[in-house]
Amino acid sequence: MLVGMKTDSGVRIMARTCAAAAFFLLSWTAAFAGETPAAPHAYLYIGWPNNGEVVAAGKPFRVWFGLRDMGVAPKDVKLPNTGHHHLLIDTPIPPADKEIPSDRNHLHFGAGETETMIELPPGKHTLQLLMGDDKHIPHNPPIFSKKITITVK
Amino acid sequence: MLRLAYLAVATVACLGMSGAHAQRSSAPDNAEVYIVWPQNGTVISGGKFWLRMGLRNMGVAPKGVERQNTGHHHVLIDTDLPPMDKEIPSDRNHLHFGAGETEARIELPPGKHTLQLLLGDHNHVPHDPPVMSKKITITVK
Repeated sequence: MLVGMKTDSGVRIMARTCAAAAFFLLSWTAAFAGETPAAPHAYLYIGWPNNGEVVAAGKPFRVWFGLRDMGVAPKDVKLPNTGHHHLLIDTPIPPADKEIPSDRNHLHFGAGETETMIELPPGKHTLQLLMGDDKHIPHNPPIFSKKITITVK
Repeated sequence: MLRLAYLAVATVACLGMSGAHAQRSSAPDNAEVYIVWPQNGTVISGGKFWLRMGLRNMGVAPKGVERQNTGHHHVLIDTDLPPMDKEIPSDRNHLHFGAGETEARIELPPGKHTLQLLLGDHNHVPHDPPVMSKKITITVK
């Protein structure tokens, strides 16, 4: 009887702890994400190259940005369900609550571009798209594409 | 002779009207809009497809946003180009993507259809020079 009660309350405490942990995690995530809400069904993807693509070294290739159920707007334009493209090269996703860095691993397309030409040195490289809001901060939740790997040779 | 006279009248009429026409935004000479998918001649079963809009050497901005070298997509379906100095019509043959969309889910009845992209500025008026794609023909069955 005592054992049974103990187990029962134990389970209850466990459940409560889990709920608390989940809540903590959720609020923690919210605290570390941008303030611009993401379009509900937004889908971001790299239209070209495909994952595993081999591209020729020594000449630029085109990267095509695919975006569904959301619109493109240049930087500093604050309109619902819009953002502009950022191309991450050989780098993981940056912090979701800060301005996306602007360097050779994080290319900004603040003029509303929907494709680009890039040239990379021979070897394996990763490419990933990440939307940024009017201030270059990822949406909440962040909208990013699958990370693909290509080979330049 | 009669045709020439008609042309002359039409030209004068056009010139006279031009003052009332919307002001056009400039576009870079190398700007290019194109249909990424479907390709010319594509046969689509069912009639529903994603139209992917491609743009080079220019950026996308939603309607009402006035920014140099930007515009928003318009898809012309089964229709010729509208006048280049007026707002692009908005109807079932002229779809506007004023929210800055670069893809659209489109559904067309069975048969042959033409698709063409035309970029419009913040006021939905084509640029100068106009930025338009090739007109393609697809078949829905």
